[in-house]
Amino acid sequence: MRECVRFAPMIGARVGELTPGEAKALAAHLAECKGCRATLAAFEATDGLVAESLLARANSRDFGPFVDEVMARVSGGREASPAARGGILAWLGGHRRAAAAALAPLVAALAVLVYVRVGTGPREIALLEIDAEGEAVTVLQTVDGPVVLLSPGAGS
Amino acid sequence: MTRRSFALALAAAATLLAALPSAASAEVPVLVRVIKGSRQGPPRLDPRLEDLKRQLSPLAYVRWEQAQEKRFDLVTGKPAFVDLAGGEVAGVTLQERRGDTITIEVALVARNTQTRLTVEKGQRILHQLTAEKDGESLFLAVMAWP
Amino acid sequence: MEADDLSLVSRARAGDSDAFRALVVRYQRKVYALALGIVKDPDLAWDVAQEAFVRVHGSLRGFEGKAAFSTWLFRIATHLAIDSVRRERTSRKDDVDEVNEAHVAEAGEGILSTPLGNDPRENALRRELAGKIQEALETLPEKHRTILVLREVEGLSYEELAERLGIHKGTVMSRLFHARKKMQAALREYAGDLVPAREGEDQGSAGGGEEVEP
Repeated sequence: MRECVRFAPMIGARVGELTPGEAKALAAHLAECKGCRATLAAFEATDGLVAESLLARANSRDFGPFVDEVMARVSGGREASPAARGGILAWLGGHRRAAAAALAPLVAALAVLVYVRVGTGPREIALLEIDAEGEAVTVLQTVDGPVVLLSPGAGS
Repeated sequence: MTRRSFALALAAAATLLAALPSAASAEVPVLVRVIKGSRQGPPRLDPRLEDLKRQLSPLAYVRWEQAQEKRFDLVTGKPAFVDLAGGEVAGVTLQERRGDTITIEVALVARNTQTRLTVEKGQRILHQLTAEKDGESLFLAVMAWP
Repeated sequence: MEADDLSLVSRARAGDSDAFRALVVRYQRKVYALALGIVKDPDLAWDVAQEAFVRVHGSLRGFEGKAAFSTWLFRIATHLAIDSVRRERTSRKDDVDEVNEAHVAEAGEGILSTPLGNDPRENALRRELAGKIQEALETLPEKHRTILVLREVEGLSYEELAERLGIHKGTVMSRLFHARKKMQAALREYAGDLVPAREGEDQGSAGGGEEVEP
């Protein structure tokens, strides 16, 4: 067990992270110790899942407003504000609660009307009507038109 | 609702709508494209999809390729069908036209999903068609008066 | 052809806002993912990620290019994220970095290896577990979340982790061990729920005590 205490922190090291001597000693210990092999197998089984999970969450979020908000801040207001840029995504980014509402899944037989003001000109007032039946969908509103996404895990 | 009954209901609804007298029965030309989005591979946007860049960029996929392109002259209530791999079918129906504003229904037979979207001229509908599998998913892009 | 980071940084320093915009777009999701792993709250992670880009922009003139732009950006984001949850950084009884025999005994239970099988990357259970990772990660103390996130999202080596967190390499190794062990424990119940039928196969799968060659 004293050996295990020494080697446990080395389990999960990548190639080159241990000195040649440490790597050799760890390999020898693993060959003899079932418990440490089980630990190694357990760590390997979940290796990478944290990154997968976090990046999946990042990828599922609408980043349309992110860069506009950053640019507005770094330019001290010289860059147009998200609303002034006119993009619906940008507008939603500036209004988190509205964005959350717009992104909420539309469930069966649920009809949702979303009115978004994108500017002041007559053609710039867009009425985007979304009416979904059946399985849940998520709708991203963009100034170029709606993006309809199927909810993960729904259906085939 | 089964896939078959859903398809029948869709066809019946289309027939009923087509039978209604409509002032807006004129054809509306639409460009329908099937697009494959992939999380893997080097980032790439098919040059034919350049006009969709702002709609595609917020999504998680990094590689976009156009798989199919069709042009239809949609008449109110009459669905146009796009065959997808694996026997799946997407139906696109013009439901209403008021000036430069149209309502399009996208129906996914395999998933019993109907989505009606009202957009203005110049806007495009991007609709996911298939659940993500192996980091890939199919999308349908619909643009009226291309 | 995409411009490389250095040329974008160079243009951004000269006042080209489009170049800085390109850098933000390039790294926004990864910075957000890193911050989310540390701070847990999506809105706070969003703010931390934006603040990191704002700070980087403010320091562009001082960027010497000795380290990669991304390393510099992630370092700032890491410290902002840690600062934002500093209140959480109260030490707990089980929050030590050294490894003792009790810790090793717990880790040696092979918590997930058996149900996950020999090819975990292809295993459906692994995919099921991926959905539970965030919940499990949130149960860890801040310093364990941080080191796991930096190791996995940014892919830092032991030396890089030591430099980033201002601790010795030995501490990095033992802290990572504790972090992984706690993740295993948090995931154990999910794995148990998902594969109850495999429980009794433990002995059999080891081939009656025969060891599987690595």
